[in-house]
Amino acid sequence: MKFWLTQNRRYLLTEHMLHLLRIDLKKMTSYRTFWVICGLYFLTLGFTTASGMEILKWLASKGAEFGASININRIPLYHFPDIWQNLIWISGLFKIVLAVMVVISITNEYQYRTIRQNIIDGLSRWEFLQSKILTNVLLSLMSVVMILSIALVTGFIYTPTIEWTYFFGGTEFFIAYFIEVFAFLSYALMLGVLVQRSGLTIVLLMLSHMIEAIIKVNVFRSGVEDQIGWLKQFFPLESITNLVPLPFARYALQEIQDYVALGAVAIALGWTVLFNYFAYLKLKKSDI
Amino acid sequence: MLGPNGSGKTTTLGMLMGVVNPTSGSFSWFGESPSHHTRKKIGAVLEHPIFYPYLSGQKNLELNAMIKGADPANIPKVLETVELSARKDDKYRTYSLGMKQRLAIASALVSDPIILILDEPTNGLDPMGIAEIREIIKKIAADGKTIILASHLLDEVQKVCTHFAVLKRGNLMHMGPVDDVGKGEEIVEVQAYHDDLGILLQEFVGSATIKKENGLFQVMMKDGYHSKDLNRFLFDKGIVASHLATRKKSLEKQFLEILADTKS
Repeated sequence: MKFWLTQNRRYLLTEHMLHLLRIDLKKMTSYRTFWVICGLYFLTLGFTTASGMEILKWLASKGAEFGASININRIPLYHFPDIWQNLIWISGLFKIVLAVMVVISITNEYQYRTIRQNIIDGLSRWEFLQSKILTNVLLSLMSVVMILSIALVTGFIYTPTIEWTYFFGGTEFFIAYFIEVFAFLSYALMLGVLVQRSGLTIVLLMLSHMIEAIIKVNVFRSGVEDQIGWLKQFFPLESITNLVPLPFARYALQEIQDYVALGAVAIALGWTVLFNYFAYLKLKKSDI
Repeated sequence: MLGPNGSGKTTTLGMLMGVVNPTSGSFSWFGESPSHHTRKKIGAVLEHPIFYPYLSGQKNLELNAMIKGADPANIPKVLETVELSARKDDKYRTYSLGMKQRLAIASALVSDPIILILDEPTNGLDPMGIAEIREIIKKIAADGKTIILASHLLDEVQKVCTHFAVLKRGNLMHMGPVDDVGKGEEIVEVQAYHDDLGILLQEFVGSATIKKENGLFQVMMKDGYHSKDLNRFLFDKGIVASHLATRKKSLEKQFLEILADTKS
């Protein structure tokens, strides 16, 4: 009986969350800007990740002009298991586009004051934020599915011999990728709630990495870097970047981190919770 | 709910609807402490109509219905009530101000609420738009719904409301039924073809003060005297009135008095 109750409550909870998600999607699906930005995102993401071999060929021809010969067949860009980390690292560069979409979505609510009417109509402030967070989850999941499909197709095309042990090595990068996108979208949502103006929020979003880099340079001067350098990984944007390390140095015979570090996951998840919590605090306290 | 601009009408309603955090005090809806669940039973439009400009009227109402947990089957009915059915598929940003105000009323009605809150529903409308909204309000009230109306248009309140409250700088100045306005005082407007009517009226025992406005004499009656007494008095003097009308004190006058009383 008790089991049934908890099961039932869980069912109601997900029903309610789906309802909130549908509310936010209803706002977006008739909004042309949403389709244009999402369309551009998925198209460029798809084409870029699928054109790796062409880019390599181009690099090789450029290299040949300078007398360097690159044998592209010896670079297993699209071979299992390299492909997972390679494609996911590249895909991570595109998440800014989705983040801009998230900023537009939330700042529109302030600009049109529809957030006010949503609350008057009977959403709680937490439910309102939840509907936005759930859309972020959906967009992150869609990115994962997109890259997973492209990786599967190109991987099977280019990998000479499929070995199943290799095939599964590195799939944890998809979990890291999901967290990477979702954490960054949470950051964008929080900025939007705090700043409320679309232009200013987008500029701040674009400059975030730069601002964090400047802070790090000034905090970690050469004298103290040895003692407190380990603190760098706790910076919010760096924690997001650290989830999927840059893989391509391995083709220049350098050692790379070809796994997802649990510590990095924990820090990024911590920031994700904080971003959404800060957004909630601001929303709860302000008059709208 | 009456009050001059900036008297706190919208702020008060904003607190009741959960968008403004009160610094102190408490309130309850339907005898329960307020939550977003109680708000779903109230239809409210504060200040301006607020909708997604890029969505059609229909889609905006569908969204309202989703948030309120209302049956979307109500939408055609409420669109009919506010006479917007013909334009329902046009984007909200193409609507005229009057249509926006009417869509706002439709959105407040979509969940078939027990209480309707309208804040300056005729703000910025032309006389025809004002008359339309007034008719809609009366129609809704006839359905047995409670309507809370915030306005500084006193004429409007006197025409559509049963009770009124006056706010000033966030404080409640007065509360009572609209029918009580001007009770105990009677003003009679009179006109007759007689050159010395003004002097003659002063001889009438029932007149307290006499004013001439737009060619009509306005006689404020003493307690216990009515228009028929004045009529008889004139008739006895051999004068036949060409115009005789009883005027109640307007809400506007009472309102100004209430605000003046509290000036100190």
